[in-house]
This record gives sequence, structure tokens and C-alpha cells, in this order.
Amino acid sequence: MRHSRAAYPLTWRVMDVLERLAAAVWPSSFQRGLPYLMLLPAVVLVGLLVLGLIQIGDSSLRTLDTSTFMMSENYTLANYQRALSEKFFATVAGRSLVGAVIVTVVTLIFAFPYAYLMVRTPSSALRKFLLVALFLPFFIGQVVRAYGWLIILGNQGMVNEALGLVGVPPMRLLYNYPAVLFGLVQYMLPFAVLMLAPALTAIPAELESAASSLGAGWVRTFRHVVLPLARPGLVGAGLVVVTLSLTDFAIPAILGGGSQDFIANAIYDQFFRTSDQGLGATLSLLLVAVGSILVGVVFMLFGAGTLAMGDERK
Amino acid sequence: MGIVSTDLHKAGAIAVSVKDVGMVFGNVHAVRSASFDLPKGKFLTILGPSGSGKTTLLRMIAGFDKPTSGEIFINGQPVSAVPPHKRAIGMVFQKLALFPHMTAAENVAFPLKMRRHDARTIGEKVERYLELVRLGGYGGRRINELSGGQQQRVAIARALVFEPDLLLLDEPLAALDRKLREEMQLEFRRIQRELGVTTINVTHDQREALVVSDEVIVMDGGEIQQKAQPVHAYRSPANAFVANFIGVTNFIDGKVSAISGSTVSVESNGQVLAGVVAADGAPLVDGSACSGAVRAEQIRIASARTALEGLETIVEGQVTDSIFEGERMVYEVTVPALGGAILRVFDHDPVSHLQFGPGENVRLGWNAKDMHVFKK
Ligand SMILES: Nc1ncnc2c1ncn2[C@@H]1O[C@H](COP(=O)(O)OP(=O)(O)OP(=O)(O)O)[C@@H](O)[C@H]1O
Ligand SMILES: [Mg+2]
Repeated sequence: MRHSRAAYPLTWRVMDVLERLAAAVWPSSFQRGLPYLMLLPAVVLVGLLVLGLIQIGDSSLRTLDTSTFMMSENYTLANYQRALSEKFFATVAGRSLVGAVIVTVVTLIFAFPYAYLMVRTPSSALRKFLLVALFLPFFIGQVVRAYGWLIILGNQGMVNEALGLVGVPPMRLLYNYPAVLFGLVQYMLPFAVLMLAPALTAIPAELESAASSLGAGWVRTFRHVVLPLARPGLVGAGLVVVTLSLTDFAIPAILGGGSQDFIANAIYDQFFRTSDQGLGATLSLLLVAVGSILVGVVFMLFGAGTLAMGDERK
Repeated sequence: MGIVSTDLHKAGAIAVSVKDVGMVFGNVHAVRSASFDLPKGKFLTILGPSGSGKTTLLRMIAGFDKPTSGEIFINGQPVSAVPPHKRAIGMVFQKLALFPHMTAAENVAFPLKMRRHDARTIGEKVERYLELVRLGGYGGRRINELSGGQQQRVAIARALVFEPDLLLLDEPLAALDRKLREEMQLEFRRIQRELGVTTINVTHDQREALVVSDEVIVMDGGEIQQKAQPVHAYRSPANAFVANFIGVTNFIDGKVSAISGSTVSVESNGQVLAGVVAADGAPLVDGSACSGAVRAEQIRIASARTALEGLETIVEGQVTDSIFEGERMVYEVTVPALGGAILRVFDHDPVSHLQFGPGENVRLGWNAKDMHVFKK
């Protein structure tokens, strides 16, 4: 009995039963359809997204009648005209784009050494510690974390109290642009590290030894060998961080205190404050367009990085 | 040896000197108290089975690992405090470690650029070294567009182009097929002679060690077993390990029954066999347990005693296995007089096409000088 269990583990028996059940429910003549069936959930989900986009496209072409609070019946480009001409929207867009770029650059600079240490350290205890430290923030939602920063950075917060001890008067650390960028960098760091780590793992440590025996100190080894080989990881991580930052809502809303709106906050205001669905939809579509163009340009300039699959990857 | 080496030091002719170097990883003694001197311009091969500490020794010389004891001298200077990029050492790694994002020429130019050579001379020099390894015109290729043997040669050009004092090769040929490997071995030899660069090569291929080297070091269990010229290591191995590791050797166990000078008689199962005291081995005394080593190709095989005329030791046996290997026959012969010992015999006789089949009674003969007797 013992013998047979070792040779034929329980999990195999369970799988056998499941397979027999599956064969009864799904006769083998339908086998060829199975792959398509497995594709179906993804197709349905993406399809719903497309339907939503069509719906949003439709709303974006209707204006809000301020007397009746009804959407107009006829199509017009008035919303697009407003979105592109009003200074407020240009400011918000500029703030979001510049912010996303700054956050991406700073995040990559911080994430790189972290990922490098995690991949290269000979101590498995340190590696595990770094990994756990990376995942911990994921268990705390973005909103909760932003509130955490309110407590730490507030006028009576820990930082100001500590500064008070050395005689520095309380400073306004919140509700400004740097606070939002700080919050975003802190939020994006784990994503960037997780995207970078596999790319760095793929660089054999022997290449670095080779570079040093060929006369390169660590700075030049980094510049001429590690950095170019890590490019796919940097591009992949950069794309994820830039799109997530550009479209972020919670951090600008909470740490910006209403004065540092990003595009997503402006869209929220249109939908839920002024109830101008048309303008909200227009802004949404413009955000999708700007984001797509940005990603497209990066793809063209640097390739798709680790996000490229199959043959394109060298 | 000691006196000679200090004299050479004064003359500045020693390229590498390893003194009592040891390396401990946790509780593993990867290298124990290794010492040797390597004169300038020589080709040294470190030979040993897997895990014997060859790579560890090489990495310490290159500067990637610091010895836990002892000191390494390069051109007479202690180098423990010198990082790898400040040592003038070219290294070819086991997995080559070519930079995949650069072309062949860029790989070869890399050390020149890192060592801040004049940019105008780099192109010409790179081309010259690519030609040296017979890759002229391949400079523009990416690494993944080159065959295994070509990548090999790029790695060699890259390690040589900055004219290092020392070239280290860590089994770079291990991954190649046999034919290419043998070609590359000769290529190494040619390039090394042409440039006169001091070279340390690591391998577990005994043929390679014999073919390419001026000197061979045989390692086992982190210890140097013998350092000698290839012919010497082959003809007079220092101990049973070396005898067994280089070539195919038969061991006949017994005890010393008489000893005078370099000749020794070994008593084994009532038989007395004549042999010589292993030259570099531990000393033998009367009555001590010993082992006589005879190489498979130094035993002659024949059906009649007359064909073995002149050989000092002749025993009778029965063929238990006979293997055709193309250029030679390999026989396994059971010898009842030696307690049923099975001796391996190589027979290179392309003319007679003589073959013995299993079960045939044969006679084996060898000369006393070909049986090296080691202390057990
Ligand atoms: N970084 C390390 N940490 C712990 N042990 C190590 C390390 N490097 C080598 N060793 C151990 O040291 C011993 C010698 O290893 P080394 O790599 O020098 O062998 P080698 O002779 O090069 O073998 P091979 O022919 O298989 O390459 C081995 O027992 C190995 O397990
Ligand atoms: Mg090795």
C-alpha cells in the first residue's frame, strides 16, 4: 500500500478523477474547441473594455445642458475644444505628465540598486528580507498608505516634531507638488524593483568579473556592461511606472489636498462634482490617447523591454 | 627547487609565484597550502578532477577571491591588495563571458578602452588580434552570430589584446566537440608561442594537458599532487593518484620484498615482480605495503611466450573482454597468478590485425622499468 502511494501520489489520483469527470462533461470530440474556450474569458473581458470605450466615445461627443442637466441629443466637438483650450486642463495635463516623468526617473534610480543588491547578494537571508520588505507595502492599500503619510508628514506629524526638537519651526510638508511626487515614488518603488529583478538575474555575474579583469572598475563595469544589459528591465519597469503614475488618483487627491490634481482627479470631478459626463468622457479619452502615444514612442525608441515577448527578445 | 626559485626571482624571471595559498569556504577546504612558481613565458596546465580546486586557485590568481591564507606574487609583487582591474591579467572564462550587447570587435576593444589606450590605435590593434585568432573580417558580427569556436577565439583575442602579463584559461574548451577542441588546443599553443605570454590553463582533459603545456600541475582534493613537465608527469608520476589520472594504469598490490637503489621487488600473491621506485614518490622500506603501477600501453600481449622475448616480467592470463577502439584494441585480461587481478592492455598494432577474443589464453609482458612502485 505504502509502495503504491509513493509511486502513484494522491495528487495524481485526484487528477485522474477530475479528468474522468471532465471527459464526461466535455466529450473528447470537443477537444479541439478547448483552447478557444480557455481564451474566452480574456476575450470577454477585453471586449467589455472596448464596449465601455465606445460608450465613453459616444458621451464625449455630447454636451451638458446646464439648465436641464441633460446630455444633448446631437453630436458636437465642443467638449474636445474646451478640453484643449481651457488653461485649467492644460495645467493639469502638464502637471501629470511632468510628474509621471519625474516619478519614473527617480523611481528607477532608487529601484536599481535595490534590485541589484537583491539579485547579487550572496546572503540568502538578506535576499529574503529585501523581498519581504518589498511585498509588505502591497498588503497596505494605496489609500491607507497615503493617509499614513498624512500622519507622518502633517503639521503635528512625526517629521515636524523631530525637526522641532532640533529647533526647526514646523514646515508645510503636505499638499504640494513634491509631496505628491514623493508619495508616488514610494508607491511605485516595489513595482519597479519587481520588474527590474528578473532582468538583472538574466545578466551572468561572470560578465562583471570579466569586465573587471579587462580593466574596468565598478563604475565603468556598471556603465558599459550592467546598464546596457539591464535596459530591457529598465524600459519595462519605466513603462509600468509611467503609466501608473500618469493615471493615478489616490495619491494626488490625498497628498495634494485638492490643489495638485492629476488628470484622473479632473475626470473624477467632471463625473461626480459637475456631473458633466461629456467632458469627463472627453478627458478620459484624451488620457488614453496621451498614454498610448507615450508608450508607443518608448516602444519605438527603446523596444518593448521585458514586456516584449517571443522572438523580439534577444 | 627552493634555491633555484629565489635565484629566478632575482633575475625577475618568475611571472607568478603562489606561496602556501589556501582557500576555505565555510568548512570546505577548496585549496590547501598550494605553492608553485611559474617562469615567464611558460604554459602551465592545472589538471584535476571536478571539485579539486582548480577554478578556486585560478580565481585567486585573477583577484576575484582573496586567499584565506598564503600570498600570491605576480612579477615578484604581492597582490592580495590589488583588485582584479588593476592586475594585468587576461582571463578566458569557462562560459566565455563575452558581452552580448557588443560586436566581436567591440568586445576585443573593450579592455583597450577601459585601459585608456589611444583611441586612434584601438581599431588597428583590434583588427590585428582578430587576425591572430583567424577571425579577420568578423569584427562586425554580433556575438550570437558567431559559432562556438569563433566565440572562443573572440574571448581569447579579448584576453590577449591588452598584452597582459598573464593569461588565465578556465576550461574554455570544455564545451566544444572533440575535433574542434583538439584544433583549438593547437591554436592556443601557436598563439601562446607567438606572443610568449605566460599562461595558466585549467582543464580536466589529460590529453589537453599533455599536448599544450610546458608544465603540468595535478591537483586532487585541493592539494597539488605533482608539478612536472608533461612527459615527466606521465613517465614518472609522483603517486598512485597521478598515475591513475593521467593515462590508464594498472595497479598490482603487494609488499616490498627487496629493495636496492631504484630497483625494487614486489611480492604479490606469491609472485615476485621487478619494478622501479617511483621517482618523486614517498620512500619505500622493506616489507611495506606497496602498489606497482603499469600503464596499459606498456604491457605487450601475445599468444606465445616467444613473442614477448626480452620483456622482464611475463604472466599468463585469459582475455575477459576485448574492445575495438579504431586505432587500438583494448583488452581486459584476468591473471590468476596475481590473485585474479584484471589488467587492462592497449594494443596498437595496425599491421598484424591480430585480435584476441574473450576466453583466449594469452601472455602479458612488460619491462621492470615500466612498473613504478608506490608506497601504499
Ligand atoms: N563559492 C563557493 N562557496 C562554497 N564552496 C565553494 C565555492 N566555490 C567552490 N567551492 C567548493 O570548493 C571546491 C573546489 O571547487 P572548484 O570550483 O575550485 O573546483 P574545480 O576544480 O574548478 O572543479 P570543476 O572541474 O568541476 O570546475 C568544491 O568542493 C566546491 O564545492
Ligand atoms: Mg572549475
